[in-house]
Amino acid sequence: MIRIAFIVWIALAPLGAQEIKLTAKLDRLAAKATEVVDVTMDANLLQLASRFLSDKSADESNVKKLVAGLKGLYVKSFEFEKPGEYQDSDLDSLRAQLHAPAWSRIVGVRSRKSGENSEVYVKTEGGKIDGLAILVTEPKELTIVSIEGSIDPDQLSQLGGNFGIPKIEIRKESGHGKDE
Amino acid sequence: MGKTNKMKSVLIIAIVWMLSSAALEAAQPEFDDLVRAISDEFHTRPMHIPFFGLVNLATFVARPGGVKHINLALFENLPADDRSIRRLSDALRSANRNWRPFVQVQGKGETVEVYMAQEGNDCKLLVATIETGEATVVELKLNPKAVQVWLREPEKSALHHHDRGEAY
Repeated sequence: MIRIAFIVWIALAPLGAQEIKLTAKLDRLAAKATEVVDVTMDANLLQLASRFLSDKSADESNVKKLVAGLKGLYVKSFEFEKPGEYQDSDLDSLRAQLHAPAWSRIVGVRSRKSGENSEVYVKTEGGKIDGLAILVTEPKELTIVSIEGSIDPDQLSQLGGNFGIPKIEIRKESGHGKDE
Repeated sequence: MGKTNKMKSVLIIAIVWMLSSAALEAAQPEFDDLVRAISDEFHTRPMHIPFFGLVNLATFVARPGGVKHINLALFENLPADDRSIRRLSDALRSANRNWRPFVQVQGKGETVEVYMAQEGNDCKLLVATIETGEATVVELKLNPKAVQVWLREPEKSALHHHDRGEAY
């Protein structure tokens, strides 16, 4: 069974620019990881990227429109050699930043089979979605995505597979989470 | 073909190659600044790569992987410590502030940093790899399709580029 779980809206990359701060605890995970990947797309880079995305395919055209409304997109992922090299509690300080009233969790999926968990949080301001955070944890991998700017969570799956964002299938839920 | 004609052909090819190489050399002042900045930072000179102009001649014709132009510099005998990648990044950014950080892949003992910048209607990437005292800096001018591949899979592209870079 797959434990899809955490998708959190987190702002990564240049620490000063991100809305959600990577904590020192999370930084320490880098020392244990076999590979750490940071994808940084600030407003300038997003603007540049959108010029090169094609209008010809429907998928890319959608991504291009989506990107136009964003102010920043940051992805950080850690890959570990074996399971158990990081604890769920390592992410507590990260989740603590994603709390009400600004943030609310809209998706939480756990898969007991694969140990994958995903959570998606949205940030609202003046009734509008102004950011999104995704946290995906797997036994040997941890991915944090932070998107700043206007985005409809339903469109999130269109961004998945681009810019280093994992492919995400969102099924909205009203409760706190769901086991698979 | 007579001997004279053969000699003429060889001569023409040689002249075209020399002119192309000279033109390509002249068209990369920004990259030269960048190489100079790294040389100054680490007090070392880049390795000489013989006939590298031919690579660009081939690139100009064939556009392998959507690459329209390539500049490459290899540095050896850099300090093998954790600070080297930071010093390399600082040197790159100081040489050209237009470079925007795009991807960083940090593995055990090696780091790949990718920067992106616009040049006219084109997109340029700067891929800097540092590992065990060696640094490779590659500047690529890409066609839109190649840019799209990088945007779709930045991590894979960086690592793929790094693997290919080892063959340079």
